[in-house]
Amino acid sequence: MKAAIIYSSVTGNTSTLAEIICENMSKYTIETDLIPVDEFHPEQLHNYDIVTVGTYSWDNGELPLEMEEVFEAFEDEEVKHITTGIFGTGDSFYPYYCGAVDIFRDMLYVHTNLAVTLKVELTPQEEDLHRCKKFCDRLASEFAVVS
Amino acid sequence: MTQVDQSLSKIKLLNPTYPNKATGIINGESSGLLNWNDIAYPQMYDLYQTLLANFWKAQEINMQDDIKQWDSLSETEKDIFLRINTQLASLDSLQTPTMTHVMDYVTDSSFKAIFAVISQQEAVHNESYSYILSSIVPLREQNERFDQAKEDPMVRKRNQLILDSYEAFRENPTPQRLFELAINSINLEGIYFYAGFAFFYHLARKQKMLKTSTMISYIQRDEMQHAYFVSQFVRILLTENPELNTKENIQYVYQTVDKAVQLEKEWADYILKDIEGIDIGEFHSYVEYLANKRFRQIGLDNFYPERDNPMEWIHVFSDEMMNETKSDFFEQKSRTYTKVSSSNGFDEL
Ligand SMILES: Cc1cc2nc3c(=O)[nH]c(=O)nc-3n(C[C@H](O)[C@H](O)[C@H](O)COP(=O)(O)O)c2cc1C
Repeated sequence: MKAAIIYSSVTGNTSTLAEIICENMSKYTIETDLIPVDEFHPEQLHNYDIVTVGTYSWDNGELPLEMEEVFEAFEDEEVKHITTGIFGTGDSFYPYYCGAVDIFRDMLYVHTNLAVTLKVELTPQEEDLHRCKKFCDRLASEFAVVS
Repeated sequence: MTQVDQSLSKIKLLNPTYPNKATGIINGESSGLLNWNDIAYPQMYDLYQTLLANFWKAQEINMQDDIKQWDSLSETEKDIFLRINTQLASLDSLQTPTMTHVMDYVTDSSFKAIFAVISQQEAVHNESYSYILSSIVPLREQNERFDQAKEDPMVRKRNQLILDSYEAFRENPTPQRLFELAINSINLEGIYFYAGFAFFYHLARKQKMLKTSTMISYIQRDEMQHAYFVSQFVRILLTENPELNTKENIQYVYQTVDKAVQLEKEWADYILKDIEGIDIGEFHSYVEYLANKRFRQIGLDNFYPERDNPMEWIHVFSDEMMNETKSDFFEQKSRTYTKVSSSNGFDEL
């Protein structure tokens, strides 16, 4: 089983979160690739069973410009069978807290097997580490072998 | 290596022999020409554009509703309203000249441009407080209120912390003092405004003085982005000048922000005590939660206990709510998906 984490980050909050999630995934012995958005190609989606996307929010709760390509890749490629999770960081003083997560959520729900979403305020704190673990638990549970 | 206590030289406008892309945000070599396509920190272009897209001015907001409502406020509400208004105005008055002053010593032209925009926005904020005042009270009372703010010992004590640092940089502009100025500016923009914001949003919750809180919302959004920028500035300053990145300076941040937190709590005790519906204890936790965010923004650990936002209603109104008429710089995409939630079979953490 293979997983990918595609993310974008300017000040390091979302990349920190992506790394924490990556570390958690490896605990499930799921081979995980960490892909910064500038290294992403739409065809890559086909190499994975699990894809998680990490994004900060910008501009009245919008996607950062560089995430548009990732968003469109999910709309254009055949990804129905892929299990997905969406996570992001934001600042709750803005009107749409982690709005970009919500935008991805609604799209991923339609085009993929969306399992879980996660919002974190700025740099992850202690409590967020547990939530990251849950996030990965939920993704992995989609593949739990029924014994 | 930069000497942390050696004065920065005021930079020449144009240095033709230096590259356009600056070699440092201070003491760097830069021609002074700015080509946004060739800058040391490309993310600054996005921020610059976003700041410009925020452009607004006080006169766009029609104060008629607030003017009509003013007389229905209680005497206490009126008094606090005017005191907070002039207190915020006095804080913003410090920012415009300080930001332009800092520009003279910053060698990266893209950062200079952003400081210029910030300075312009502070001028707009300043004007907006005057605009609010002019809508509700006559000039004589406005002046009395400004005098009151100038003489208020609590306001003076708060401002003094900031002023000392700003003055110190003015006297001798060293890298060390620039660093300290930046931290104090985070205190001013990122901590000191919030008791005031709480008051105006509290009125808004009661459907009172909504035009004023719309303006406050614009101001808060700008201030949040300034704090984001100044935090980045601090991180880059410390990274480019490792001799500033010392234990003592980290300690300085914790101490200075903690002092601002104490002063903001004191100010809230004094200014918000008669406002029904704002729990002062809760506000104290709020200020700590707020300061933790500021620490994390500059890459430090929380200083206060970790907690969720205890006053979620203190936040910027949405564009829709502010009834934004100006077209956005980035065309907002219309998206066609229906809103889904955990009831659709996934988990929301
Ligand atoms: C101009 C600007 C606009 C922002 N807009 C939002 C927003 O609408 N919603 C939100 O939750 N956060 C917003 N943020 C906060 C960022 O999303 C937050 O700082 C995030 O953690 C940055 O992630 P990064 O460190 O990975 O770059 C905004 C920040 C800036 C500077």
